[in-house]
Order: sequence, then structure tokens, then C-alpha cells
Amino acid sequence: MSNKVAVLMRRAPYGSVYTAEGFRSMMGIGVFEMDVRVIFVDDGVYALVKGQDPSALDMKSLGDGFPMLPDFEVTKFYVHDLSLAERGLTKDDLVLVLSRSEGMGVEVVDSATIARLLTESGAVLPF
Amino acid sequence: MLYMVNKSPLMHNNLETCLRIAPPEEPILLYEDGVYAVAPGTKAEALVRQALQSHPVYALKADLEARGLRQCIEGVEIIDYDGFVALVEKHDVVPWL
Repeated sequence: MSNKVAVLMRRAPYGSVYTAEGFRSMMGIGVFEMDVRVIFVDDGVYALVKGQDPSALDMKSLGDGFPMLPDFEVTKFYVHDLSLAERGLTKDDLVLVLSRSEGMGVEVVDSATIARLLTESGAVLPF
Repeated sequence: MLYMVNKSPLMHNNLETCLRIAPPEEPILLYEDGVYAVAPGTKAEALVRQALQSHPVYALKADLEARGLRQCIEGVEIIDYDGFVALVEKHDVVPWL
């Protein structure tokens, strides 16, 4: 069985607990030396938008959290191109701009690539 | 009546179905994930522009800031918590959950 795990993020941050719980799971899975790939589709792409400030909601910024994930061996991030386009967003609007060669990166990928990543994963964790 | 929508217009049809029911001139308040509707350039922009033709449309500032939304479709009024309270005092509420 593949040790690849896909974390599939489809919801916007703050409106529900899913994004925060997905983030917690990524940290946990990463330290067990599994090959984690984090996939942002639909409203999930909003989790990566720059400049989030939920202090008035008495919450912490999830956008500030994702760039810390390499400390937990989570370094592969994939963002669905159509989901970005439907929301008027481009890669420049997102956090995590380092290249893969710097240990971490965000790749904007098409639907077929997302499907392939899901297919080759031993498990898909939905958030 | 104040119609209150808190769901993302890109994942749910709450705003669309709310607009089918809300009579002209009745105010629409977007809060929580509902505020994604007022960001320019999304697939939902036409819906908000249609709403603005016949309704006052409000968006809650704290929820916009939380989500990093810096820009807003022209005509939408951004309100803070005091403005929210003022609306609720003035109108009976229909939560369109």
C-alpha cells in the first residue's frame, strides 16, 4: 500500500472548523514520515489567501500557519487552477511562494493532475 | 426584514435562493463565508450586482478582514459590529442558513 496521503481541502477557513482541523492533521501525519500532499480545491483555495486577519473574530490566521508546515515535513502543496480562476485569484494572491527547490512550493495544477494525485494516494483525508 | 446569508456563494446557492424570495428594498446582510460574494472577479459577482439593483447589500467588516478580502464590489456597504447591531434593531431578521 502506498504511504502517500492526500489531504483534500475544499472549504473556506473560519466559517467552519474544517480548515483548522485539516491543518492539525497535516502536522500529525507529517511527523509519521508519510508522504503528504496537500490539495486545495473549491473554497479550499481561500485558506491560502494572503493578508488574513481574523483577530476581530478572536481566531488565529490560518494563512500564517501553512508556511510553517515544512517544519513538520509537509512540503507539497497543489492548488487547482479552475478553483482559483472562478474566484478571481492568481498564484500571486496566495501565501507559500517559495519554489520547490527551496524545500517548499505551491504548484497550480489542472483537474487531471488533481485526479492523478488522488488516485496515487493510499488514503484521501477530506476537510 | 433583514435577510442574512452566511454561506459561500461558490459552494452553496443560499444567496441565489435568498434573492428569489427577498422583496425589493429589503436589506441583505452578508457575513461569515457569505462575504466571499462581495470580492470582485468571482463567479458570483453578477449575482451581487443583480442584488444591488433592488436591495441594500451589507457586508461585515470583521469577516472580510479575517478572510484577507481587501476589495469590495462597488455599492456594497461595509459595516462593523455596531452597524450590524443597528440593522438588527431596525429590522426583523430572516437567517437564510
